[in-house]
Amino acid sequence: MELVALQGLNFVYISLTLALVALGLAVVFGLLGVMNMAHGEFVMLGAYSVLVVQNAGLPLLAALPLALAVCAAVGWLLEYFVIRHLYRRPFDTLLATWGLAILMREIVEAVFGRDYKSVNQSLPGTVEVFGAVYPAYRVVLMALMVAFFAGLFLWYRRSNTGARIKAMVSNPALATAVGVNTAVLARGAFIFGVCMAGLAGVALAPLVRVEPYMGIDYLLSSFFILVVGGLGSLVGLLVGSTVIGGSDAIVSAITSKTGGYMTVLVISILFLWLRPNGIVARD
Amino acid sequence: MASSRAINVLFLIGLLLVPFMWDSFVAYQLGLFLLYGMVGQGIGLCWGRAGFLPLGQALFFGVGAYVFGFALKLEAGPLILVAGLLAAILLPALIAFVVGFLVFIRQIGSGPYFSLITLALTMLGFQLANSMDWLTGGFNGMTGIPALPGTDTYETLYYVIWAALVLVSGVLAYVGTAPFGQLLGATAQNEERLQYFGVNTALLKAIAFAISAAVAGLAGALFAPHQGIVTPQSVGFLLSAEIVVWTAVGGRASLMGPVLGAILIGFMASELRDSFQYWEVLIALVFVVVVIRFPGGLWSLVEGLARRLPSIGAKGARKRDLETDKSRADGSVRLAFEDVELVLGPVRILDKLSFRIDTPGVHSIIGPNGAGKTSAFNVLTGRLKPTAGRIEYNGATVGGLSRHRIARKGIARKLQIPSVFPDLSVDRNLDIALWAGNLTLSQMFTLRPFRWSTPLLNEMYDIFPFLEDGRQPAGSLSLGQRQMLDFAMTCLTQSPLLLLDEPCAGLSSSETGEMIDAIERIVATTGSTAIIIEHDMQVVERLSNHVLVLNQGALLANGAMEEIRSNPAVQAVYGGGSK
Repeated sequence: MELVALQGLNFVYISLTLALVALGLAVVFGLLGVMNMAHGEFVMLGAYSVLVVQNAGLPLLAALPLALAVCAAVGWLLEYFVIRHLYRRPFDTLLATWGLAILMREIVEAVFGRDYKSVNQSLPGTVEVFGAVYPAYRVVLMALMVAFFAGLFLWYRRSNTGARIKAMVSNPALATAVGVNTAVLARGAFIFGVCMAGLAGVALAPLVRVEPYMGIDYLLSSFFILVVGGLGSLVGLLVGSTVIGGSDAIVSAITSKTGGYMTVLVISILFLWLRPNGIVARD
Repeated sequence: MASSRAINVLFLIGLLLVPFMWDSFVAYQLGLFLLYGMVGQGIGLCWGRAGFLPLGQALFFGVGAYVFGFALKLEAGPLILVAGLLAAILLPALIAFVVGFLVFIRQIGSGPYFSLITLALTMLGFQLANSMDWLTGGFNGMTGIPALPGTDTYETLYYVIWAALVLVSGVLAYVGTAPFGQLLGATAQNEERLQYFGVNTALLKAIAFAISAAVAGLAGALFAPHQGIVTPQSVGFLLSAEIVVWTAVGGRASLMGPVLGAILIGFMASELRDSFQYWEVLIALVFVVVVIRFPGGLWSLVEGLARRLPSIGAKGARKRDLETDKSRADGSVRLAFEDVELVLGPVRILDKLSFRIDTPGVHSIIGPNGAGKTSAFNVLTGRLKPTAGRIEYNGATVGGLSRHRIARKGIARKLQIPSVFPDLSVDRNLDIALWAGNLTLSQMFTLRPFRWSTPLLNEMYDIFPFLEDGRQPAGSLSLGQRQMLDFAMTCLTQSPLLLLDEPCAGLSSSETGEMIDAIERIVATTGSTAIIIEHDMQVVERLSNHVLVLNQGALLANGAMEEIRSNPAVQAVYGGGSK
């Protein structure tokens, strides 16, 4: 029972984190049409924030504001100097963000080194959930993520900004004409998207090896989540992360990590082939 | 163009002389970069010409290396080696073809899906190479690969690599010049338009990807004896990314650019990587700048010409001396819409649209904006799938088929906005129209189709004399001329059914007159059936005696112009019939 609860919690934790990464990618891809190939590198920045905070001897939750600040700053720089000149040129943004991803990796490698770092596992404070002993840090993060998804869902449906974003997506020229500042809105959406990746990086740091090349895996898994779940709805996103995270976890446990990876890839190609718009298509 | 070829040949000769000018160790190092450069040439075919970016090319390189390394280690005679080499080339090509076709048939254009799937494939390859110890040697790699029989790894192997480079360059140059390469370039510019010419673009792109994978496999095969060891790094993501960077910096659109990029960055890296900490950062920065600002790369500096047309095959004077007869034996057309519905989201665009067209001549579709005129063309040509109902063309159901299939059944379409291939010459645009529906896959790899001509083409030259200046890029034509070129291309397919969506839109009144004359003349000489969508009633009146009126996605009236004029329902829709 304890083991089941522990595995269940781990699975929920991973799925939520993946959904968070995919949410960021979906915002940038779905709203702005930019496939941000550097998305995974923001996950990496988030993970390195945890490392920096730990090396400085600060409490781990201090990594959250640090990751947000770093990702927002880098995201702003990229949007301002590169991305905004390339909106509506999807292939060029793919290339440019691919180059920026290499650049970000190489800079981090030059500063922190190529080798794997790991974040201290023995976190202070545990809570008992369904009989399983679980680190309090992760319970807090999980609660934060759930609250965040719920809040975002309500906000996007109700708020003015949500309406303005929808207007910008469906007709940018008209949105500009009726007074929506699409430039600011687009920049906001981009920064929001990469900050989600950074937050997910904070959540992932204690579980994985932190290294400059860690981001690619998250770019791919969040992309697969979008392929399976479809763009444009939060439900699809959660379904997609459960399918991708779940099949990876189950097949990896039965066969090997490679088997899990191959399963995810096959599922994604099948979805691309059979349901090009994902499970929950955008209307 | 001749100068560009001369530079390529000089470059290759220069590479052959390297062992004499420097020492054989430099040549040994250079050999590795030439191998990477070949992989880059394959990426250039996909990225520079066809406009889709493979991010996992090292997978094919590594597969080739493992396969041929395995064959070398068997030391079982020349037959096994030849079989191994073939497998090292064909296995990657097969993988690439299958994956490419699966993705391209669903995703039109240069979307990110293909690039990300190839990236995932190379990650998978890396994991497989690591975990399949029994075959690949796992993390430590496949070691102790003997030299290629008859060569010395540090002396003569370089010439084998050089010969492979010459072979690959020759094949890629030829493939790029042949109709296949021209169609590939057209795919990058306007894939959908090409599908309306009956070209299966997914197949075309998958073949291009397979060729690039075969080249990578060959390079990988030579890598095995060159290094004597193959590790999972050879299939991995890092090598894939590096080769993309070299290709971009060297020049993705040129034949030799990727090789130059691999050589320059390769040698500089081996000098600077250890002494200069920020070397990789610098290269990444250069890549970003080159990709956005200088798509021609370093090779464009070599050629001294920054901007060139991609139509490498254009020669001075061309002869069209092969008369091909495209006219179809039975040009009659029977088209029927039966209760066709099209629903997109909450909007009902076509609402049980039914009509029949089975007489030759010009038929017009009119109706207010939003009546569903262009949508009727869209469901007929495969741009949209009808939600319900049947569309029958000459006895076969066409509703829901893919665009190129429908086009091949003899339906040609001119889009409302003139859409030609702007970077290709006028001549090449006309070629594509002549090839439409007639070019077989094997003919795509011969040069004869460039000499094709039809009686109708000569008539087109007569009607639109500006077409004879065939070497200018189609993008430099005026709007009116582009409309006329687009119209000419649509007719040159010699499809029995021509769909013309506002052929006179944006034309001056004299140009409109020319266009009307042209439509009349072509329809009369070819005996084809044309359906035009038109707002200009004068055009409708002059051209056709059969008019279909659409309103709210359904047929409102159907008959001769006089009947339509006196129809009270039509008068009501058109504001009391004042027109």
